[in-house]
Amino acid sequence: MEGDGGSEFRQWCLSQVKGAIDDDVTEADIISAVEFNHSGELLATGDRGGRIVIFQQEQESKALPQSRGEYNVYSTFQSHEPEFDYLKSLEIEEKINKIRWLPQKNAAHFLLSTNDKTIKLWKISERDKRPEGYNLKEEDGRYKDPTSVTTLRVPVFQPMDLMVEASPRRVYANAHTYHINSISVNSDNETYLSADDLRINLWHLDFTDRSFNIVDIKPTNMEELTEVITASEFHPLQCNTFVYGSSKGSVRLCDMRAAALCDRHSKLFEEPEDPSARSFFSEIISSVSDVKFSHSGRYMMTRDYLTVKIWDLNMESRPVETYQVHEYLRSKLCSLYENDCIFDKFECCWSQDDSEVMTGSYNNFFRMFGRDGQPGMTLEASWESSSPRCPLRPWRVCAGSRRNDDEIGVDCLDFSRKILHTSWHPQDGIIAMATINNLYIFQEKLN
Amino acid sequence: MEYKVEAHRIMSISLGKIYNSRVQRGGIKLHKNLLVSLVLRSARQVYLSDYYSGVCLNTQHVEAKEWELMDSNQEKPLTPAPEESLSPSTDCNQNPVVPEDPEVQHTSQAVEDSTDLHSVYSKHQAEEESSSEDSTTDVSLTSSPVTCESQCEAKGAEVSSSDCEADANPATVTEGNSQQPPKAHSCSNRKRTAEKTASNDSPVKRTKVTSSNSSEEEAEEMDTGNVSNLITIFGSSFSGLLTKESSEPEAETEDSDSGSGQICCDQMLKNLNPWSTAIVAF
Repeated sequence: MEGDGGSEFRQWCLSQVKGAIDDDVTEADIISAVEFNHSGELLATGDRGGRIVIFQQEQESKALPQSRGEYNVYSTFQSHEPEFDYLKSLEIEEKINKIRWLPQKNAAHFLLSTNDKTIKLWKISERDKRPEGYNLKEEDGRYKDPTSVTTLRVPVFQPMDLMVEASPRRVYANAHTYHINSISVNSDNETYLSADDLRINLWHLDFTDRSFNIVDIKPTNMEELTEVITASEFHPLQCNTFVYGSSKGSVRLCDMRAAALCDRHSKLFEEPEDPSARSFFSEIISSVSDVKFSHSGRYMMTRDYLTVKIWDLNMESRPVETYQVHEYLRSKLCSLYENDCIFDKFECCWSQDDSEVMTGSYNNFFRMFGRDGQPGMTLEASWESSSPRCPLRPWRVCAGSRRNDDEIGVDCLDFSRKILHTSWHPQDGIIAMATINNLYIFQEKLN
Repeated sequence: MEYKVEAHRIMSISLGKIYNSRVQRGGIKLHKNLLVSLVLRSARQVYLSDYYSGVCLNTQHVEAKEWELMDSNQEKPLTPAPEESLSPSTDCNQNPVVPEDPEVQHTSQAVEDSTDLHSVYSKHQAEEESSSEDSTTDVSLTSSPVTCESQCEAKGAEVSSSDCEADANPATVTEGNSQQPPKAHSCSNRKRTAEKTASNDSPVKRTKVTSSNSSEEEAEEMDTGNVSNLITIFGSSFSGLLTKESSEPEAETEDSDSGSGQICCDQMLKNLNPWSTAIVAF
């Protein structure tokens, strides 16, 4: 797999690494969601412990005009707690599965976060002033003895240290029997969808006590179950359109104007299987792990275990582009099945101008493809081998166990280090991705 | 031969995963278990294909005979599933006179029918391997849609749709399955029945508007917390496999060794059940 993108590719530099740089990683610290907001100013991460950490980009400094602002911690809060379903004797994990930002309407920021069962709407707001000079209350809040008040004054707002507060504004619960895998905010900014393995529900942001079921693929007889929903997203521009990917490798586009229950798809995007490539694990590797519309809304990208496919929404028969992420793993599927790696769900993302796509791989590698049909570039997220402002060097993966400066053998890959969650800044050449417990931020090198 | 070993290994691994998923935090994950069950099914297909590959004889009339046997042995509630299992075999069938010498059956014959897909799986010449307990009986037929549908439509074909990928194939595989596997078949039909009815009793209501405060109607599907054995997880269709596996791993060996084709066949017929996903319990 050639990796020298050369001049036609952007060059990337490591900008920041967040998180503990040590080998002792607790389960709760493992990052499970990464998402830029619509302006790119905020970057949210969720972890398996149910916490959300939001980073804010500092304003571009005059001193370093060539680099964009750094991201610093803005807010940290506990979004979800572990729960126990007593009726079913099941523990509900607090792991954050997805974070989606709402477009900003006022000074506060809103985001939706979800675990397996419950979605929450969080309001993140700043407070930099507070009222002082109450007549009946001391500064620390204790009440004064009314008889000790001799004069009256009008309380005034005084500046204070910036405080960022996160408060749960809505809790959308009890609507999913199966594990929620996706949430997506509609372009109408009033509704959003949540998808679990068999159903997709449509919510209005203001109402927590009701949701509409718009897709239900649960068979009457569960024994007939053959596929599940794996990912779902609203079209970025058309508020009536959404897609959902399935475990069989197909993607269905549905139009909510056609029927209340969108079980019948409007379009079915499916590529015929290559019979020569069948194996025990063909079904697993064809399962769609992520589906993302392009910013333009014209294209759609799907990620399965070994490939990234770009689809033109006007053509259902096959993708317009297919990129091999790590084809060298095809011969190792059995081992990957044994160690459960074959079930890893990789995300993918579009560049801000839809000219490139990016997805993660193993050994802390991530892949960049330039929409030109070329094999793409392999870069590594490693704080040890990268220095800021120094462009990352592409890697190549070869057979066997060789290891050179820019080449590594398949047998040397570390499958415990994987990049599942990635996000691309909506307007700039900045990408964020999560290794096991670290957040890496790369910036495009500006010339 | 190595394919057989490989298939066997994959089956063991898959079963281990399904078992472990029950104790995982966060409950059973439907998606992963569905995928694992698909792999398990494929592996079983391959594993058993050798037995039956050579047994293809007259399909039609033998099949008909088996259907009768099947019906008589199966309890009514099991209707959808059991029928399925019988289906697939155009070629092979459940031939009561099952050859006791599996070695005679060569994949080649079966493969002829199965063309590409099957050949991918079973290139090996298998000989009857009694020890493959996991081979599970039930998994009988992952059945190719071709054969399956022809047989089972009336009965409500079940999962076969998932096997559709095996278009080209497999009667061979399926037949193999249906034919008696040397072992396993002692799975109790009765138990399977019970499982099945239990798992099918949940009414599925598609409500347009689901009140978030109402209890989930589908609660029972996820109710595996109290289950303590694999049978419940898999539902009836796996019961044979599981009972066999959990209770008498050794016995299987013996059973399989029994050369009596007749007995094995009958056992198999009684225990035939369509291979369905492990997700029945969900």
